[in-house]
Amino acid sequence: MNPVRIVLADDHTVMRNGLRLLLERQPDLQVVGEAADGRQAVALAESANADIVIMDIGMPNLNGIEAARQIVNRNPRTAIAILSMHSDESYVIRALKAGARAYLLKDSAEADLLAAVRALTEGKSFFSPAISKILVEDYMRQLESRGAEDTYDLLTNREREILQLLAEGRTNKEVANMLNLSLYTVETHRAHILQKLNLHSVPELILYAVRKGIIA
Amino acid sequence: MEPEETKDAVVFKRSGQPLQWGAQVALLASFGAMLGLMLFAGIDSLRALRQVQARNAQIRKTFLLRNRALEEIRSALYQSGTFTRDYLLERDAARAETNRASLQTVRGEMDAALDRYARSLDAAEVAPFQALQARIADYWKVLDPIVHWDAREKLARSDAFMHQELFPRRATTLEIADRIGSVNERELNNGDERLKEIFDRFRYRLGLMLAITLGIGAILAFATTRHILHLARDADLRYRQVALAQGKLKELSARLVEAQEQERRAISRELHDEVGQSLSALLMELGNLGAVAPGDAELRSHVESIRKLAESSVNVVRNMALLLRPSMLDDLGLLPALQWQAREISKRTGMAVTVDAESVADDLPEEHKTCIYRVVQEALHNCTRHAFARNVRIQVVQESLRIRLTVIDDGQGFDSTHARGLGLLGMEERVTHLGGRFHLHSEPGRGTRLRIDIPLAARAVEAIA
Repeated sequence: MNPVRIVLADDHTVMRNGLRLLLERQPDLQVVGEAADGRQAVALAESANADIVIMDIGMPNLNGIEAARQIVNRNPRTAIAILSMHSDESYVIRALKAGARAYLLKDSAEADLLAAVRALTEGKSFFSPAISKILVEDYMRQLESRGAEDTYDLLTNREREILQLLAEGRTNKEVANMLNLSLYTVETHRAHILQKLNLHSVPELILYAVRKGIIA
Repeated sequence: MEPEETKDAVVFKRSGQPLQWGAQVALLASFGAMLGLMLFAGIDSLRALRQVQARNAQIRKTFLLRNRALEEIRSALYQSGTFTRDYLLERDAARAETNRASLQTVRGEMDAALDRYARSLDAAEVAPFQALQARIADYWKVLDPIVHWDAREKLARSDAFMHQELFPRRATTLEIADRIGSVNERELNNGDERLKEIFDRFRYRLGLMLAITLGIGAILAFATTRHILHLARDADLRYRQVALAQGKLKELSARLVEAQEQERRAISRELHDEVGQSLSALLMELGNLGAVAPGDAELRSHVESIRKLAESSVNVVRNMALLLRPSMLDDLGLLPALQWQAREISKRTGMAVTVDAESVADDLPEEHKTCIYRVVQEALHNCTRHAFARNVRIQVVQESLRIRLTVIDDGQGFDSTHARGLGLLGMEERVTHLGGRFHLHSEPGRGTRLRIDIPLAARAVEAIA
């Protein structure tokens, strides 16, 4: 089995070194390149044919979120894990909208990085527990202050099942295969879910799932 | 050491002292004197005119009185001649007696007229009047004997008496009366001339007073005009100095605010990117260290305590950086920064904050972004610290030429026409520096409504055009 090809993008050398040490202790993971800014990261992801790019947000020339967008545009198969100091949801939603599939906090990188890489290789999303916690708490508080009812209760069991699979990063087709449904049915369910939860895109759906604690 | 530097410097020259006591007294005295002179001239003119009028009337009246008296004397003279002749030529004794009585009456009338005339006698008329009196007395003395004549005597002497005594005497007496008449007329002319003299004196006095008044007035006008111009120049100078100083103060304060913002941004970045990243790397290396030496229990406990320290430090650094200046403002734009701020406040205080700023463009100028963010921050701070609001609505609407922020809370409000703290002043300062308008309305018990409008640069207009 081929090792997972990983590119590290961070403007701090110490950080990159630490990450490389951490990752290369695993025999099936291989760091195939290091970039010190966003532009280098975009170039390397393509030239080194990376499976996963682990990327900081605050980088010179091109920031991590924009770099993630460009990489995913060029090759949607490349999985992006954002590794950042920022814990606010505005960064998380931007990163997800740009196409990132995992969001990790730097101060818990050592504990979460390997789990995130494993999740990404399986085609799932991943968020640092600290991020999940913040998102869930914010959501609960919003619900409380608005006095709104929990929209999750509006979903049918089938819709909840599909919501989880989609939030984990599965495509419509994968979901259809897994649940033995037609692609059209899955698409209809997806539209219903978004409508009932008042969401507009899959990244928002992922964020919602994290907030609800449906996925980690 | 450039000359522009010194020219530019704000120097408060001491000039234009308030009007001194002496000058005040002088001004009052001059104005008083001028007004007094004008008043005096007015009264004097009225008095003189009245005097002239009275004098004129007096002179005319006297002239008419005397003229009439003279006329009466003349006509009495003529009548006396007529009655004398009639008496002398009358054969009938009764009719002659009637003529004689008429003569007596005429004589009495003439005496009365003479008396009247004598009472209003002028110095120039004394001599001719005495001559006239003497003549008339002489005339009557000549007439006196004829009453004692008998008929024969009358017949014999009357013709000669009339032609030699009566008529010549009457003629000379009339002549004297005429002379007095002409003197009387001359008196009238003299009176006119005296009137003219009075008038001339009055004219001279009036002219003199007018000249003095004009002189004082001119001096006063000159002095006060000069002083007022001086004061106005001073006031103008001072106004310009104050305006200049105010402008400089505003500029300085704007520059201070800008410098503060830059400092905050730099420190925030430094904390976040350098200190925070280093601490994160430290954490990572601690993990690697644990992996290298897994067995040593004592080492593990030390590593663990270092990890705890580093983790709490990362949190401290992150919070400090966000408080100084939230990284979203620079990384993601105004809306995420406002949303973060709203969430933070809600988390800390339980106040519900909604943010509606969907129309805000990502490329909003840096200054505008910062201004709006800081104003919102201050407003939210006030909502929690002073207003104790439960709900706050933040709305940002971007149009082609301006951007408008509205912050409405349901707190306890205050009298916005009076109390204004430094925080509000700071907000207003930021907004006006960008050419914007700051509007705040609040009443006790009715919440607070803050609205700012900031014009957007022409760049945005060009983009649309």
